[in-house]
Amino acid sequence: MIKRVEINYRGIFQKTLAKRIGGDIVMIAARMGQVGFSNGRYSDAPERNGIPCKYFAFVSPDLSEEELEAECGAKLDIDEANISVVLDDTMVKGVEPWAWHGVRPINEKVVPYGYMLVVSRRRPEDLVRFMARKPYPYYLAILEGDASFAGLWVYRDDLTHERVLGALAALDPQLLSIEAVKGYLWDKTHEEHRVEAAQKAYESVRHNVHEVTPLQGIDWPYEIPKLPKWHEFSEGVVVKAVPREFHLGPKGQSRNQLFKRGTTKSQRPVVRFDLCTKCTLCWLECPDQCFDPTPDGYYDVDYEYCVGCGKCAEVCPVQECIVMVDELAFEDNRSPWEHWKRDPEGYIRWAEEKKGTHRVLPNVVTGTGQRVVEAEPVPVGGKPKPAARAGA
Amino acid sequence: MATADKVLVYDRIKGVKQIPLEEFYTSGHRTCQGCESATVMRQFIKAAGPRTVVAGSTGCMYVANTSYMTTPWIVPWMHTQLGAGGSSAVGMAAGLRALMRKNRIPQEKINVISFCGDLGGGDMGLSGISGALQTDYDLLIIMYDNESAANTDIQATGLTTWGAQTTFSPVGKVERIMHRRWKKNVAAMLAVGHPNCRYVATACATFPPLDFLNKVRKALSIGGPTFIHTYDPCPKGWDFHPRYSHELGELGVRSGLLPLYEIIDGEVVYTYDARKTAKGRIPVREYLTRQGRFAHLTEEDIAHIQRMVDQMWDEWEVPGVAPFRGTLKVSA
Amino acid sequence: MAVAQPVGVYEREDLLTGCQAVAEGIRLANVDVIAAYPIRPYTEVMDAISKIIADGKLVAEYIVADSEHSQFEIVKHAASVGARAFAGSSGTGWMYGFEALVVTATDRLPVLFLVGNRALDDPGAFGVEHNDALAIRDMGWLLCWVATAQEALEHVLLGYRIAEDKHVRMPMALAMDGAFLTHSQHIVRIPSQEAVNRFLPPFDLGERRLHPDNPVSIAPQVNEDWVMEIRRQNWEAARRARRVIATAYEEFNQVFGQRYRPPYYFEEFLTDDAEVVLIGMGTVAMPARTAVRRLREQGHRVGYVNLRWFRPFPTEELRESLRRFRAVGVIDRDFAHGAPDDGGVLLHEVRSCLYPVRERPAVVNFITGLGGRDVSIQDAIRMFEITQEAAREDRLDGFVTWVGVRE
Ligand SMILES: Cc1ncc(C[n+]2csc(CCOP(=O)(O)OP(=O)(O)O)c2C)c(N)n1
Ligand code: SF4
Ligand code: SF4
Ligand code: SF4
Ligand SMILES: [Mg+2]
Repeated sequence: MIKRVEINYRGIFQKTLAKRIGGDIVMIAARMGQVGFSNGRYSDAPERNGIPCKYFAFVSPDLSEEELEAECGAKLDIDEANISVVLDDTMVKGVEPWAWHGVRPINEKVVPYGYMLVVSRRRPEDLVRFMARKPYPYYLAILEGDASFAGLWVYRDDLTHERVLGALAALDPQLLSIEAVKGYLWDKTHEEHRVEAAQKAYESVRHNVHEVTPLQGIDWPYEIPKLPKWHEFSEGVVVKAVPREFHLGPKGQSRNQLFKRGTTKSQRPVVRFDLCTKCTLCWLECPDQCFDPTPDGYYDVDYEYCVGCGKCAEVCPVQECIVMVDELAFEDNRSPWEHWKRDPEGYIRWAEEKKGTHRVLPNVVTGTGQRVVEAEPVPVGGKPKPAARAGA
Repeated sequence: MATADKVLVYDRIKGVKQIPLEEFYTSGHRTCQGCESATVMRQFIKAAGPRTVVAGSTGCMYVANTSYMTTPWIVPWMHTQLGAGGSSAVGMAAGLRALMRKNRIPQEKINVISFCGDLGGGDMGLSGISGALQTDYDLLIIMYDNESAANTDIQATGLTTWGAQTTFSPVGKVERIMHRRWKKNVAAMLAVGHPNCRYVATACATFPPLDFLNKVRKALSIGGPTFIHTYDPCPKGWDFHPRYSHELGELGVRSGLLPLYEIIDGEVVYTYDARKTAKGRIPVREYLTRQGRFAHLTEEDIAHIQRMVDQMWDEWEVPGVAPFRGTLKVSA
Repeated sequence: MAVAQPVGVYEREDLLTGCQAVAEGIRLANVDVIAAYPIRPYTEVMDAISKIIADGKLVAEYIVADSEHSQFEIVKHAASVGARAFAGSSGTGWMYGFEALVVTATDRLPVLFLVGNRALDDPGAFGVEHNDALAIRDMGWLLCWVATAQEALEHVLLGYRIAEDKHVRMPMALAMDGAFLTHSQHIVRIPSQEAVNRFLPPFDLGERRLHPDNPVSIAPQVNEDWVMEIRRQNWEAARRARRVIATAYEEFNQVFGQRYRPPYYFEEFLTDDAEVVLIGMGTVAMPARTAVRRLREQGHRVGYVNLRWFRPFPTEELRESLRRFRAVGVIDRDFAHGAPDDGGVLLHEVRSCLYPVRERPAVVNFITGLGGRDVSIQDAIRMFEITQEAAREDRLDGFVTWVGVRE
């Protein structure tokens, strides 16, 4: 028997975390007399900030290490997962790690009656409504929490690591028993709060497991690209450039159709066009060319390509004009400018509702925390205050 | 210090509203959130326009951009090897010139641009770039400097700032600082050694606004081989939140660590005055403490960097450019 | 060998070294971009080309590069915009630019290179050895050895014709033995431009040309989803090259008279009734053929096979040819230390080519002429004698003899 655990994470931000979880699954399973090994999906590297990536852990109670390696190690991705961990809940909208891979459902690999373990503060139905319908039932478990966010050099020790291990023990005690998890953490660190974090997660997740039936979820809207045979594409490693095409208005700029990398984002910018001074900065400084100049001088956003870096919100000189909002607040990628043109007041109400009242300002050094400030929303027809540049 | 634009006839972008709206490097690349090098790509080709051929050396701007048999390029683009930033430009320029001389393709001005990273261009490819700058071809080499071998997961290069943590210069129990090389001043070195190269500049894609776009325009219009070194904050390798990448560039320039200048026909023109006396100068601390890669630096380390920067601006004969002091002395 | 030639296809005769003959070929092929870097013995071709350009006999961009890496990258990129390009090197210089050589092949850019074969450092040595050129044998290059200055000139024209063919589009390395061919002067007949133009069409990279009117992206990054298919395409090109090579020689013969005989990839000398042959590449053909004549005078049934095309290897044709003999002696002007039986590179190619033949000849191997050591007629006779002995004993194991080493 083989247990395959897949850890979905966002490149760099949770790289160290995912690797530690994968490694510790192996170490703890070994304490329980099982064999295992762990690796990352090779094509994810070099990882780019925000890109969806995977780490794996393989455990078996009865196979030899060589057999386990032959079954699992020779493949660069897995065909099925007994447990699929998701460290950032915005990935439930689908993951496209690289071109020609397609936007894949996050639950793609989960086996019948297998588990999805998602770190989230949302209700299960708020996650399932983005996920692909599967032909068989499986379970969705939620580990209450925020996506852990760290950089390359500064690891964020927010106990997500210990909590995920505790949660895994709750889902599959044969894979990891909570005793083994706790014993391992204690032996390794001699820190009581780590053991406690695992124990608490173990208890809470046991009460936060939900069956997802074949009726739940959505018909997956994305096609998986078919890779051409060797004689079906041009020789001499040459591909056609993106065709030159530009006009004012939504999607007026031609873009790479084969890699729309929108699944990189965990937030998206919401724009109050009525506050915009047409200063050009959001458009000019977006490293992903997501803004489409409109005939009336505004800048529409093509969310299919937005990676959610937040630069536009940062450079916009007008208070409350561009605000980054959690990606799970949105159902689709339609043009916000068209929405605003069609129904100006309705759009503003919609935008304000999405924005809510909290503004989250991340500290500059990755993973060192954030400031949350109360917003003063600008009413329809109101004037914004001059923006203060953040970045403390 | 001169700050005025040299008299040079070129199609200057006078305000943000004059920036061409159309993209020639478009969405759908796999760079990090907030990647400033991607902004360099976007802007240089915006300034150059569609009658351009581009070669790009191995590095993030190759691997991340052309993600697996797709491309974000609208203009013709080709991969070139890590150390071939100079030679690829020469090859394209020579090929086009020969074909035009023999009337096999129409006579026209086609911009030839090759870009390379700080490792590819500033370390490995220096000899090839030097060779290119000695030719008489119209070409532009852009060295985008994210201060590491970023694509291989952030290793130190000759252009990494002193003291930075990288995967080749980790913080250890005994050694706090493994990277002790002072940042190589590639643009100035090339300018000093290639007096016939009419335009060499440093730039930062987002600060001051329009500066980089116009530097590209100048480089392409002046004729002959030209070189621009850009300073590109790299959210992954420098470890800061992607939303602040434009700000990091600005801080680096204002602290004087990243001098902005152009050398046009041998004359140095500063595009940002970072002397101590200038009002724009800020302490390097404000720049360094905003990056996780410097989180391990002590007060002494920061003071060391500050001293070096002070020297650069207040003691060098040509501040920020040439580390020479004194006047002509003849030995007895 | 030349039989009746059509009138007017040659403009003059001149005394030329192998390198100078190649330079004449470059002029006649109207090459667009040439990048140079000095290293003996190939350098002389660049000396000659620069003079041709200086004298106004060829319009081309001539660039003196800062290193072989740059030199090779320059011509690669010149080819990418559609220019006919030429470079070359020898020995350690060839190795210095190796990265560029590999990508030129994987980018499928049909440039032509001269490799003036030279021993690899260390210690520094100038003399011929084939290891430099052979290093690219698995990289997707066309690789061919010439034995005379006349052939060298003609193979510049043939080389571009084959490499640039749209079914091929692979780079072409024209190898010649350092000193023996690069530097010795022979009378060479120089074709007329008009005849060359009839044979060699202008270079057209078609839909792969890098130009604003043809926006393409060349060599985007790939992962494991793509590499095997790309290698498969390149294999196909190498297979198609075999057909194109034969066609090119036929076309060449039509313009220039019967210069070359089928099967073109190699040339047989007095093999019709031979029992034993030697096979080798390059100038070793001269002492070997002379030895054949002398041994035949004494009644020995021996012959010589001069292998021209090493890549693509003429598997079928060579197999059909060599299976007729009782023993084959393979001459390697190279080494492959630690290889099976410690034989040379060519030994392994020939042996594996013969493997499917049930009644195969005995195969023995000679490592000789390394580092420019001359291979004498006497050496060649000795190699024949050893091979004859192998035929008598019907030996099948690899039997390697170093010929010419001080023992
Ligand atoms: C000759 C060679 N050596 C090493 C590599 C591996 N390599 C690929 S990208 C890279 C880093 C390049 O760094 P830089 O030029 O600064 O560009 P960046 O990745 O930072 O954008 C290296 C070392 C290579 N591709 N080629
Ligand atoms: S968040 Fe803004 S700047 Fe960043 S990719 Fe999206 S639109 Fe562009
Ligand atoms: S940055 Fe803000 S004010 Fe400026 S154009 Fe964009 S939305 Fe309008
Ligand atoms: S590692 Fe740095 S340079 Fe490379 S894609 Fe990411 S941000 Fe850009
Ligand atoms: Mg770099």
